[in-house]
Amino acid sequence: MRTDETVLIETNRRVNEKYFKLTFLSPRLARGVKPGQFMQVKITPVFDPFLRRPFSYFRADGKRVEMLYEVLGRGTAILSQRAPGSSLKVMGPLGKPFNAKAKGKKRVLVAGGVGVPPLVFLAETSKADYLLIGTKSKAEVLPKRELAKVQAKILYSTNDGSYGTKGFVTVLLEQLIAKEGQENLYIQTCGPTVMMKAVMEAARRHGIPGEASMEETMACGVGTCLGCMIKTDKGWTTCCTEGPVFSFDRLECAHAGH
Amino acid sequence: MPGIDLSVTVKGLTFRNPITVASGTFGTTGEYSDFVDYEKLGAIITKTVTVKPRAGNPMPRIFETTGGMLNAIGLQNKGIEDFIEHKIPYFAKIKTPLIANIAGENEGDFSLLTRMLHKHKNVVKAIELNLSCPNVEKGGTHGMKKKARMKDAVRAARQETDLPLFAKLSPELGDVLEIAGDVLEAGADGLSLINTLKGMAIDIEKRRSRLANITGGLSGPAIKPIALRYVYEVKKNYKVPVIAAGGIMTASDALEFIIAGADMVAVGTANFVNPRATLDILEGLRAYGVRHRLARIADLRGSFSHL
Repeated sequence: MRTDETVLIETNRRVNEKYFKLTFLSPRLARGVKPGQFMQVKITPVFDPFLRRPFSYFRADGKRVEMLYEVLGRGTAILSQRAPGSSLKVMGPLGKPFNAKAKGKKRVLVAGGVGVPPLVFLAETSKADYLLIGTKSKAEVLPKRELAKVQAKILYSTNDGSYGTKGFVTVLLEQLIAKEGQENLYIQTCGPTVMMKAVMEAARRHGIPGEASMEETMACGVGTCLGCMIKTDKGWTTCCTEGPVFSFDRLECAHAGH
Repeated sequence: MPGIDLSVTVKGLTFRNPITVASGTFGTTGEYSDFVDYEKLGAIITKTVTVKPRAGNPMPRIFETTGGMLNAIGLQNKGIEDFIEHKIPYFAKIKTPLIANIAGENEGDFSLLTRMLHKHKNVVKAIELNLSCPNVEKGGTHGMKKKARMKDAVRAARQETDLPLFAKLSPELGDVLEIAGDVLEAGADGLSLINTLKGMAIDIEKRRSRLANITGGLSGPAIKPIALRYVYEVKKNYKVPVIAAGGIMTASDALEFIIAGADMVAVGTANFVNPRATLDILEGLRAYGVRHRLARIADLRGSFSHL
């Protein structure tokens, strides 16, 4: 059940050049969570920033919640300065999660930026075959301890070639498609819009099914404000309650010409 | 401890307390049911319903601003038939008066919507006429600016029902005091003050509006002083029930409106920030009642005094 809790920050520190990790204890927010679901976080005790911010779950083990986030704007900049012991209001778990299996297929998770935390969570809690992560450079690669529980084979791509394969994550994806055969794969992706568009375009060309976790500016997170609409096969629908994870075949942006 | 009597009676209709929700901020059925016991609210005001389904405006539709947000949803809703088929049965099970908010492009729409809702008087206890949506081409502030059309809309609704009718106004329509007089003369029983105020925000990198609709309705604490002023001025001039809305985030905000004369207070954008805002405000009203030894909230209403 969705709940709204006041929690105390346990830890909140920088992990590498890209990410911060924040943890808090809350059995109610950490119970029954599935990868791909998200939280609405009130960053400060006052109304500035005014709206909450959506964050995906990085880990939830029934007691503790972990968030892995990038400083992308004013809200996340303020969050990165919040000290352990101070409080946050957190609503969750919200939205529809990723599928934990794909019958008869090998699951390939394709992540970048804000899409890394939910897909690492998915790779830790289900039997995926590959986790592809695209970043700018080696400085943004997650420390080994954060990936220790991932069973899937992890492949990195960096834009500058300083770690893993040089180029965009779609280069890795194309190599994998050639190796495994398109008919044997199921893709699950989350990350920057440009990356997901490229992933969905590759999936469309090869006829590979899958799902993408979409991002839109949100106010309420529970389907009332109608601010976060996504164009689907059934018209506009709320990203927060009908998503954020959508099957490729439901997404208009996954089809040719978008 | 007996505590303060929070009940409010308006046109023969009794609400258990003055807390309601502003149209479009509380979903269409049970979106907030995990957070709020709907039967603790004074009334529930629905999202605007129109005759035909409306897809709403293109994306992006919302943008956060200092002390509030802009929205240009564009009255997205599934239309009156879906409302009667799916929403009314949901609220029939909830023992809280439902106030249906309607909008139309002409008096024919208002007439039809009111007639259809009147048949569900067992659930729909009052109707709020949305005359002031800033985000639609026809109807709303755009079409209703002509005074005659606004009065026609109210008259059309009045002819179809004896349910209390609240006209929702905004300064976007013109002189609120004058318009209040007009809509009351045309048959409205009370007023809802105020709707969002038209505003905009620009992305300086792209040199484009933050909203696909270019402009949107501003809501939140940024508009509270303006809303408060209108509630105060209108109540000073007209002895009619007023549902106040505009940046009510806390019990203290709600109390300001009640002291200014509001009969009911509608919590709006606050629901997006705090899903329990309505009940938190209700608890705050009770605590204030104890602290000020008030027997009834009615004794506080309009108790504003000049220095």
